[in-house]
Amino acid sequence: MRIAERTEWNLLATPLVAFLLLCLGFPALVNLVYSVSEISFETLRSPTLSGFGNFAAVLQDSAFWRANWFSLRFGLLTALLECVLGLFLAIFLAPLFKERSWPLAILMLPLMVAPALVGLMYRLVLHEFAGPVPYYLWQWFGNSPSFLGINSAFWTLVAVETLQWTPFAFLLFHMAYHAIPEEVREAAAIDGANAFQRLTRIELPLMTPILGVALLIRFIDGFRVFDNVYVLTGSGAGGSTASLSIYIYEAFFKQGAIGKAVAASVLLFLASFAILYGLNMIARRRRK
Amino acid sequence: MLNALRWVVFAIAAFAVNFPVIVTLVTSFKSAREISTNPGLFIETPTLENYLTVLQVSDRLNIFLYLANSFAAAAIGTGIAVLLALPMAYAMVRGGLGAKTLLPLIVNLRAVPLVIFAIPIYMMFQWLGLLDTRFGLGLVLAIVNVPLVLVILVNAISEVPLDLDEAALIDGASRTAILFRIIAPVCRPAIATSLIFGFITAWNEFLFGLMLTTSKAVPVTVGASFFFAASGGGVQWGVAAAVMIVGALPPMLLGLLMYRQISRSMMAGAVKG
Repeated sequence: MRIAERTEWNLLATPLVAFLLLCLGFPALVNLVYSVSEISFETLRSPTLSGFGNFAAVLQDSAFWRANWFSLRFGLLTALLECVLGLFLAIFLAPLFKERSWPLAILMLPLMVAPALVGLMYRLVLHEFAGPVPYYLWQWFGNSPSFLGINSAFWTLVAVETLQWTPFAFLLFHMAYHAIPEEVREAAAIDGANAFQRLTRIELPLMTPILGVALLIRFIDGFRVFDNVYVLTGSGAGGSTASLSIYIYEAFFKQGAIGKAVAASVLLFLASFAILYGLNMIARRRRK
Repeated sequence: MLNALRWVVFAIAAFAVNFPVIVTLVTSFKSAREISTNPGLFIETPTLENYLTVLQVSDRLNIFLYLANSFAAAAIGTGIAVLLALPMAYAMVRGGLGAKTLLPLIVNLRAVPLVIFAIPIYMMFQWLGLLDTRFGLGLVLAIVNVPLVLVILVNAISEVPLDLDEAALIDGASRTAILFRIIAPVCRPAIATSLIFGFITAWNEFLFGLMLTTSKAVPVTVGASFFFAASGGGVQWGVAAAVMIVGALPPMLLGLLMYRQISRSMMAGAVKG
């Protein structure tokens, strides 16, 4: 009976496990093999092992390090901005959502739009002749920066990403804020804590875990950014706006440098695995 | 007084985060001539001609094909994800199978940059003849959807009372029968939420659409950019705007209708992740 039950559980789990092994496990293996092979589009099926040359090539490629630096800066900055803005909105606007929730729907709307389409939309928004932003800037100030030019492209992209994903941070904080039991606030009020003290001594400390989670999620999404950057600036002038995802994509599709692209993928895989594993360990230790 | 200030802040935030959609919507109702003379936020003479242009099918551009591709791939990608994740979630919650190791591993997949798998999947699809097919794109979208769908379903099943299982076990039902006759019907709301959430995510995906399709199976997120370079010369911004609105509308409508469920599942996904 016990064994039969065990078997049935295993059977229920098999489809998903098999699917993931096939669609992710196998590709991961292919990645590993190709990363230590000499490979081109002509020799896809018969890679010849060649040691760690691909890794050396990637690690010596200054474009790879520039892409790393872009992704890191982009991820950190956007995560910080989104969380600060989202936290402010969630707390300051909290009374508005007590009786009605439709304003939430309006703030959530950007989360439903494909980042690639949002990127395309900004091509219109920022266009020097057809876009309203340059139009009004010219009208009001008689000048308009070239938003996607080499000097401002990074900051434009940060703004684009931040404006679309602040609602995500806001939403998490909104829900965490409203999950704090009303009695806790009342008890603090009875003890003589004013609104500011309640915020800094009670509400914010209670929200710290979710703050960490939101920062992490937004950092990861910012670090691996592809869609909106790709449609807005591509890799930018001299690769100035190439995120790591764009670097890998272009190495593969534009330059046909399969070995390099695959080696970079493996490095990225190892890095994200190490980071996630570390974070899981920390989380588990804290729970204990 | 403070409340009035709150409404002002809300209005500014709502305007700022929705700004690209607002601009695109406004532009899509302007004639080409008006866009060049008046790029501002107000429409002088609204027109539907951009939408009519978009809906015209030509050899190079076919909005209906892109929409159908997006719909089919998203439906396949969501359906497969839910079908595979439901039994797994049940085995995890009730059978304790892999709840400590496999669940975190799969959930963490969400945080792994998908571009890592893009190249081998491209090659695999080339061998299997799945490049530029709706089914191939749907398969990949299922991978994208699995982590969050699994989290939503695991949460839902852990809230189902154990008595339900046990009563059925005593009656001699197998676990598989319990899953489909009892658990699945009870979890219908969670299944609906994961279907909708998965559909929106899949519809909005871009990287794999860009890599794995070229003509027959192009989804609308990729197809939209084709309209930018449509007629040689400069971009026809009115037409481009209309395409973007058409492509963004289905997930936006779904999101507006279901924002309560969606926000709850975002929270669930975040806390578990």
